[in-house]
Amino acid sequence: MKTSYDLTLNIRRYDPYQNRTWVQTYQLEAGRIMRFVDLFRKINDEQDATLAWGSSCEHGQCGSCSVRINGKPMLACELLVENAVNEFGSTTFFIEPLPVASVVRDLVIDTDQAYARIDQVKPYIISPRQPAADGEAHQISPEELDRYVDATRCINCFCCSAACIASHDTFLGPNAMLAAIVRVMDPREDEKQQRLETIYSENGVYRCHSSQACSFVCPKEIDVAHFMALAKQGAITSS
Amino acid sequence: MTSSTAERYPLVRYFFHLHRIKGWPYVVSWAHRISGVLLAGYLLFHVTTLASLRNPAAFENKMQTFAALFPIYVEWLLAVPVIFHALNGGRLLLYEVFGNRRDRLVLNWVMVLSGCYLLLLGIFMALGNQQVSPVFFWSYLALSSVLFTYMTITRLRISGASKGWKLQRISAAFLLLMIPAHMLFMHLDPALGRDAQVIIARMNNGFIKLVDLLLLIGVMFHAAYGVRGIFLDYLASPRARTVCTGVIVLVSLYFTWQGVQMIVSI
Ligand code: HEM
Ligand code: SF4
Ligand code: SF4
Ligand code: FES
Repeated sequence: MKTSYDLTLNIRRYDPYQNRTWVQTYQLEAGRIMRFVDLFRKINDEQDATLAWGSSCEHGQCGSCSVRINGKPMLACELLVENAVNEFGSTTFFIEPLPVASVVRDLVIDTDQAYARIDQVKPYIISPRQPAADGEAHQISPEELDRYVDATRCINCFCCSAACIASHDTFLGPNAMLAAIVRVMDPREDEKQQRLETIYSENGVYRCHSSQACSFVCPKEIDVAHFMALAKQGAITSS
Repeated sequence: MTSSTAERYPLVRYFFHLHRIKGWPYVVSWAHRISGVLLAGYLLFHVTTLASLRNPAAFENKMQTFAALFPIYVEWLLAVPVIFHALNGGRLLLYEVFGNRRDRLVLNWVMVLSGCYLLLLGIFMALGNQQVSPVFFWSYLALSSVLFTYMTITRLRISGASKGWKLQRISAAFLLLMIPAHMLFMHLDPALGRDAQVIIARMNNGFIKLVDLLLLIGVMFHAAYGVRGIFLDYLASPRARTVCTGVIVLVSLYFTWQGVQMIVSI
């Protein structure tokens, strides 16, 4: 078994002060179970302290490390060198920021701008339904929960949005749609009408063409396209 | 074709790469989009050509020019986007409207059935001597299409989607069998599609006229809504969207009117 690899990382860089974009090549030797965030850190330590990238939890839970690797949106904190070499059949990788918002610097994008679309769908319970009995906790039956629990795993990493066939200027995006759809399916939410209006708006579900790229790339293995299709079919309200 | 031979060609290599990073259904979505646009373009050309049926000599002249310009296999090649778009559209209906989640299996069937159709069409085109009663053929197909359309309408009743979106799916359900059948029918015998007198005689039947009208209106609406959808995917400004919708509505109304006039007046 190979224990280390000689890698070539071609990284798209952006300097906001000079408004300059270029691709910089880094050669490095890396152990087989190093993650891509480890590679970026290694570059910072050993070759180039100016390369900017983002991460927070480094456990696949916060969604702040997403980048495009050879065109595929992925979490840099989850991708091991060995898995990447196997998946792409190469030791050369082209790494770019996600195309879902403007670039702040190198691999870091403007998350406020990206999140503005999530904020539009109000990713919280707008009007909580009263529990059946006063003082009781709200109960959700396992059958009800089963219908949408997968969607609650979303960490808003925007990988799905980056992979989507529709443009990012017009479509609210698969993850924003998911946030709206899951709260229509959630029996604790009373305000359905407002949500349905967003879902069935021109920047909503009509921009989805069931290309299923969202489901294909989702690091949390959510079948996003399934929920989009449920919304089109009208199978999200009848609970 | 093995993937290594396929990967020698840049375009094929690009498709394989897309498949690797976004999955087959994504590649198929692009193919659906491209075939839809090709068909929409062809539809306008088709209606313009047929509109000249009111002057049989001019029509036959045109058909002869096309026959001289394009060898028969070009017509056969046109069937590739037609059958792919139709069957893949059927697959999308199953996924989005009928809740099918064994999508990969259906995708395989789309490919297999498209191949079978192309083979069959090729054989009919080569033989060019098949006989069938138009009224029998179209009664059978119209009945199946109406049945599938009805099933789609029933399924869509609970959907909160807009009327336009639903109508596009409903028209798709109607076209699913009708369009491939239309193409097949026209190539059973070359005279069926080229000889103005044969076409005029066939269209002198109320039922055939009704089928043709439904087909024309269904396909025009479907294509117009589809093309508008592609523009809306990229146009963000409400003004640009309104202008785009307006232009598409006007163009499709004009061509629909051309077609209706031809069908009614013959
Ligand atoms: C023969 C049966 C047909 C079926 C079952 C069918 C089905 C569909 C479906 C389900 C869609 C929606 C896809 C989406 O929104 O992503 C679609 C889109 C479209 N169709 Fe069809 N279609 C058929 C024939 C046609 C014909 C004859 C034309 C043109 C004359 C056409 C033009 C289009 C266009 C332009 C789109 C938009 C593509 C896109 O949004 O990417 N279709 N079709
Ligand atoms: S649905 Fe999946 S890919 Fe999309 S934002 Fe959520 S976790 Fe990321
Ligand atoms: S299925 Fe819809 S939302 Fe998901 S990537 Fe495709 S077009 Fe975008
Ligand atoms: S750093 Fe949190 S998901 Fe990668």
